[in-house]
Amino acid sequence: MNTDTTITAEAARERKLRRQRVRRVGRHAILLAWMSVVVFPIFWMISTSFKDAGEWVAWPPHWLPNQPTLLNYAQIFAFGALDPTLSRQATEQAFTIWKGLGDATLVCTTASLLALLLGTFLAYAISRFKVGGKYFRHTILMIRMIPPIVVAISILIYYAIIIPYATTALLSVRISLFDTYVGLVLIYAVTTLPFVIWMMLTFIDEVPYTLEHAARLMGAGRIAVIRRIVLPLVASGMVVTFLFVFILNWAEFLLALTLTHPEVTTLTVLLNKFQSAAEGRLYGPQAAIGTIVTIPVVVLGLLIQKHLVKGFSFGTIRK
Amino acid sequence: MAGIALKNLVKSFGAYTAVSGVSLDIRDGEFLIMVGPSGCGKTTTLNMISGLETPTSGEISIGDTVVNDLEPGERGLGMVFQDLALFPHMTVFENIAFGLRVRKIPAAEIAKRVSAAAETMHIKPLLTKLPKQCSGGESQRVALARTIVTNPAVFLMDEPLSSLDAKLRVDMRTELKRLHERLKATFIYVTHDQAEAMTMADRIVVMSKGRIEQLGTPLEIYNQPATQFVAGFFGMPTMNFVEGVVEIGAAGACFRGAGLEQALPASLSTNLYGRNVVLGVRSEHVVIDGAASTPGTARLLQPLGDATLVHFDAGEGKSLVAKVAPSTEIAPGSPLKFRFAPAHCHLFDAASGQRRT
Repeated sequence: MNTDTTITAEAARERKLRRQRVRRVGRHAILLAWMSVVVFPIFWMISTSFKDAGEWVAWPPHWLPNQPTLLNYAQIFAFGALDPTLSRQATEQAFTIWKGLGDATLVCTTASLLALLLGTFLAYAISRFKVGGKYFRHTILMIRMIPPIVVAISILIYYAIIIPYATTALLSVRISLFDTYVGLVLIYAVTTLPFVIWMMLTFIDEVPYTLEHAARLMGAGRIAVIRRIVLPLVASGMVVTFLFVFILNWAEFLLALTLTHPEVTTLTVLLNKFQSAAEGRLYGPQAAIGTIVTIPVVVLGLLIQKHLVKGFSFGTIRK
Repeated sequence: MAGIALKNLVKSFGAYTAVSGVSLDIRDGEFLIMVGPSGCGKTTTLNMISGLETPTSGEISIGDTVVNDLEPGERGLGMVFQDLALFPHMTVFENIAFGLRVRKIPAAEIAKRVSAAAETMHIKPLLTKLPKQCSGGESQRVALARTIVTNPAVFLMDEPLSSLDAKLRVDMRTELKRLHERLKATFIYVTHDQAEAMTMADRIVVMSKGRIEQLGTPLEIYNQPATQFVAGFFGMPTMNFVEGVVEIGAAGACFRGAGLEQALPASLSTNLYGRNVVLGVRSEHVVIDGAASTPGTARLLQPLGDATLVHFDAGEGKSLVAKVAPSTEIAPGSPLKFRFAPAHCHLFDAASGQRRT
């Protein structure tokens, strides 16, 4: 009887292991299939960035470039005026990445910092003083549900018509926000503010009230409490939020397209301008820029991952 | 001088009144414990003293100064919170030094005072650690050190021991009491644990529904509870209560209810005759012996070591508890005879709960 049960137990273990193995293989097969769908466009972009004009839209497609070239990268990273080989008779002035990269970095960094600063204090007010009532935090996120195109046109009218006319009439100075760094920074800061508030709320909510009460009883004023207690405790959260918002701004296209031209040019807008009279859409340089633009996003994404873990696990405060 | 006077203190949150008219004189150097069930207003009262809550009406004075409009940090108080509220991103040293740093005290002086406070609380080896590296008891000491370092004249404590395990809690009670004796400061301590209140307090304030039920020394509260609520709140197990009426029997006033009859002192006021009352008697004053007259049936025995609790049916579905010697031979299900010690019977008005003897 004893042996019987032993055999049964072994068989059961065998069966369990087999089942686990089948499940593991199945799981990986599904994930691999899904990954190929997700990764393919990125692979295609990188592959295209090393192809010359003839191979961009070749049929049947060239999965890998037959004659790999660095010409696309040479063009986008070129300095000064482009020679005819690199300029490819572009319809607009031949483009390099520098202007777009500089503008995008400036605008996205400034706007993200501005949104972070405002959003953190707003989130503090909402978390601690219940500003706007019980459901305000949900309302804030709803603002983000509005499609950008809905606001893009009205903002354009404000920037390009109402503000210039109003300032001319009232101040005798024509001030326009259209196609300016300030204009783009403002709209980026405003559109990402809901995200900042929403994210910072979750971090600030985790800081127990009693920490602030304790600090106040020890003689610290409101500002000191925020500076010495609250901000250090949500610092990781602020880093995560900044990176998240920065990526949103970095990838934004519609508002930049509508509200700028020709002075301010972010990377996404620049990308769209790669056209040539001789060759049509310049897929090669576009793919090269796409590849370059993706790098910081991937790096920041990995950074966020690291900070997210830190950001959300700081709540080790005894409750 | 750090006596505290509360005058008709009221705190409402919208339609809900948490504290309704509390007046209290807390003496300088006293260990005062506010006790009561959750939501009785004790923490709200403490928060009003600390300045974290603004009273809806009423006046708070510390010493001779009315402090209603002073910021929490300007009142010269120290507070230990229920969750201790140690700053998780600062070392133990920085936690203790925080109050001194915001007061802009010179660094050398800070180091000296932090060191002295750590010495007092026996936590010197912890100074470089973070709060999360400290055990429950250690964190407790850090929180106390952080409070004593600023030399407050008044210590406020909001259930500071509730996060500790039972053994440590009992040890910390002794330690807090010693600390109070050494510092000679005023301690105001909030708890829902009646045992904590009994063991540490000079005086106890029992609160219920935003009001003070009784103010007195631990023994006054235990032996002469002012209301049925106080009588039921203090003592383990809970006092036995029997509803009934005061009647005139052959031998003077007596209580009759739930099939029980209990002679009452002759001194009892005659205007209680015919009134509906609740008779209260603690388990240690329920005597089970052969000389007793009233029969009952033992149901359940709970040995405590130094005594044994006997839960028994007293007829008409009434269940009572008696505390007897651990050597008792009573077995569950067996019949017994019991009586109440007449000198220790309390009478409460059935409607208002006020004490009648």
